[in-house]
Amino acid sequence: MSKSHISNNIRKLRFLNEEMTQQHLAEKVGVTRQTIIAMEQEKYSPSLELAFRIALVFGVPLEEVFSYEAETEKTSKA
Amino acid sequence: MSFQQKNITVSLVNFTLILGFFLFRVIQMLQSDSFTLGNIFRLWGITIGLAIVVTIIGTILTHIVSAIIEAIRTGKDDPKIEDFEDERDQLINLKGTRVTYTVSSFGVFLSMLTFVFDQPSLVMFTLLIFFGLVAQIVGDISRLVLYRRGF
Repeated sequence: MSKSHISNNIRKLRFLNEEMTQQHLAEKVGVTRQTIIAMEQEKYSPSLELAFRIALVFGVPLEEVFSYEAETEKTSKA
Repeated sequence: MSFQQKNITVSLVNFTLILGFFLFRVIQMLQSDSFTLGNIFRLWGITIGLAIVVTIIGTILTHIVSAIIEAIRTGKDDPKIEDFEDERDQLINLKGTRVTYTVSSFGVFLSMLTFVFDQPSLVMFTLLIFFGLVAQIVGDISRLVLYRRGF
């Protein structure tokens, strides 16, 4: 069984972009502030389109904003 | 709390009150021996009418109260309310609707089972509207839980 996890650097990138507020970022990408908060807390993974829009706002490639880690549970064999 | 969460909370309170009113009227009918098909159909009409009217009024009031609170908070004459649904809101809404339909289907199945136990049709009609209201309440609760969890 494998468990996937998507992490992001949105918070860090906001601060590097003249301390952009969550509200400002939300308005630029067309979502609510609550969605930005949920993404920063890694409770919500955005759609591919929204992920690209966020990367476009920061002017960086997608992989600089989001990273994917796949943890595979190893089953011990007797 | 986002605008969508406020709207769901208002809907939850409304439907809980309507369910309370429905149960109160059914118990009253049972106590006064007026539990008849005609009375149950009248109660159906009142309950559905109430649900529609209260939902519309609730949504309008949520908009007005949110605008007033936002105006006081920001000090602006024309406050901006985030009343649009983004992709996360839509996904949560879809999941909530799925829960509502699941409970509702289970309720319809249970209501139909009353025929197996030789119960009169008014028991089935009473259970149908009861499970309809319960399904709406459970759906609203699941939406609020999803908002709390993030998704």
